Amino acid sequence: MNEEIRKKSKGRRWAGRIILLATAIIVVVLAGSGCVRGLAPVGWSGGTATEGKLYVGSNEGRLVAVNLADESRQWSEALKPASGSGGFFGCSSAAATGGGLGCGTGSAGVAVYGTPVVAGDLVYMAGYNGKIYAYNKDTLAIRWVYPREGNMEPLVGGGIVYEGRYYIGDSDGRVHALDAATGDSLWQFTTGDKIWATPAAKDGTVYIGSFDNKLYALDAADGTVKWEFTAEGALITTPLVANGAIYFGSFDRNLYAVNTADGGLKWKFMADNWFWAQPVLHNGTIYAGSLDNKVYALKADTGALVTEFDLGSPVSSTPVVVEDKVIFASRKGVISAINTVNNQIGQLADLEAEVNGPLAAVEGILYVHTHDLTLHRINTANGAILRSISLKSQQ
Amino acid sequence: MNVWELIIQQPVINVLIVMTHYLGDSFGLAIIALTIIVNLAMLVLTLNQLRSTKAMQEMQPRLQELQKKYAKDRQRLAQEQMRLYKESGIKPAGCAITMIIQMPVWIALYQSIMLSLAVAPEGLLNLAKYLYSWPIVYSILPLNREFIGLNLAEPNFIMAILVGATMWLQQKMSMTVTSTDPKQAQQTQLMLWMMPMMFTILALSFPSGLSLFWAASSIVRIVLQYRVTGWGGLKRKAPAEAESDKKYLKFEPSPEKRSTDDVGADIVITDSEPGRSYPALPSKQRYQPGKDRNMRRRKK
Repeated sequence: MNEEIRKKSKGRRWAGRIILLATAIIVVVLAGSGCVRGLAPVGWSGGTATEGKLYVGSNEGRLVAVNLADESRQWSEALKPASGSGGFFGCSSAAATGGGLGCGTGSAGVAVYGTPVVAGDLVYMAGYNGKIYAYNKDTLAIRWVYPREGNMEPLVGGGIVYEGRYYIGDSDGRVHALDAATGDSLWQFTTGDKIWATPAAKDGTVYIGSFDNKLYALDAADGTVKWEFTAEGALITTPLVANGAIYFGSFDRNLYAVNTADGGLKWKFMADNWFWAQPVLHNGTIYAGSLDNKVYALKADTGALVTEFDLGSPVSSTPVVVEDKVIFASRKGVISAINTVNNQIGQLADLEAEVNGPLAAVEGILYVHTHDLTLHRINTANGAILRSISLKSQQ
Repeated sequence: MNVWELIIQQPVINVLIVMTHYLGDSFGLAIIALTIIVNLAMLVLTLNQLRSTKAMQEMQPRLQELQKKYAKDRQRLAQEQMRLYKESGIKPAGCAITMIIQMPVWIALYQSIMLSLAVAPEGLLNLAKYLYSWPIVYSILPLNREFIGLNLAEPNFIMAILVGATMWLQQKMSMTVTSTDPKQAQQTQLMLWMMPMMFTILALSFPSGLSLFWAASSIVRIVLQYRVTGWGGLKRKAPAEAESDKKYLKFEPSPEKRSTDDVGADIVITDSEPGRSYPALPSKQRYQPGKDRNMRRRKK
């Protein structure tokens, strides 16, 4: 009996210690579980190919130039995080780096979401640290930075170069027009909420969606509003401008088609979840991937549903057209090709890696940038997976 | 989605979003409201836990007496303590079990708030899979992160301090052990400071929406604790003080059995509040007050 009591007494003391330990473990687990669930920005930049090179923003916060012929790589200097970002665990929205305990999914640098753009001898890239960089296309040396001092709010959407100007929207809801050669600010326009969408431009007009539910048509020269269209949800997709219409998705689950002339609604089509990625147009048909796991083929002029394809997991990456095929990637890494002639779908490959960024294709090779700092290559003709290229810097 | 996400996270996230819509698009208010609702849902468990805590507090004088009495005989002390717990119907492990039951609910709330905040772009993308096909849910996202001047997606120093302070206050109120055993007292002090400090450090790094949830939870617990136990550990004096100030803690034989010969008389423990008494215990648990008091006088 006494022995039993002594054991129980000792056990109670140990119980106290165990509670303390459990408290510490719970706190650490809470921290960890929060981080891996999308607290830390990682990035999903796509690639832009030109003159035998593919430019992509890596999860390390570098611009990487991949020579497509010999697979050699060139890295820019790593982007610097915005001061005071991240906190101890690097888990706040301002966390541009995996600072502190570096939680996240392996990103060790400033996240890059927008796909780099190439114009003339410069490559432009925007970072989550709220800065825009223009690099020399050959050396990847920085030509200019905007803003020159301090940081804007995080940049999630990419930029475009149109008629000598660079356009981008920031998380403070401002659209910036910069001189593409010098990085000097030309004009700014403020929307009612964050901008995470990449703009599109055609015929002297810049089109951009905002979290304030509006699509803005701005005069490319001075930023004055030509017209605006109000949806029932936030806009995050890059608009597709073609055939006198603008096609874009909204968080109200609709894909909209509005007239470029006056912003009048042509048609809308509702899915079961958001249209996150930019749609593509091919042979009079819009192909739009949705987070409801499906790709919808719609008549571009009426919005009538032609057919739909189930990819098994959400589609968040912008597809690419290769000859008569529209190639999609699901978030789980399954690459599928839709034959636009007979509207049949076939699986090209399964990368077994998360894919969120836009796809790129050059000379029959599909390039897919995944979260694990890898550039996957797939032969679009037969689906053969070629040797992947690591984007991890060796510096 | 796994079972946890399907049964727990998804409903909580959707409820949070709908509440945000009906509370003027204020995610901050939705966090506070849901924290209160969840607390109300777990009220029975919480009250049981608090009542156990209160009973433990009320038993402290007797436990201290035992500790003094059997200071040199730990085995006997443990034996007597166990007997006291058993005969008073208190299960020290009961509080821990209640906490274990409540823990998944709090973790689910924590995760749901983090997911709904969708701090990074990946967070917003991940959130899509949890949404029910209710039009309100889709159109209101991304949620408005502004709340009384706070950006709920960013850490906030004041909120971090508030988290630490409310957690400390709640811990202090619920403290039961004012042990004369230095080791145990040290452990109690460690418990009192460790949680608030760790959560303050976390709050300095995590979105303040989460800090709001932690602070609101602590405040609700403080209110409940106050209703059940009063200021509890906040009001109670340290053992050394109590020892030197006996007018607040005295042991008397019950009025109807004042004979010093009756060493087995029931004990009534009184503090400064007149008329307040503790229930009599069965005879096998009785103290020997005269003997005990005399021993202490002799020590002095």
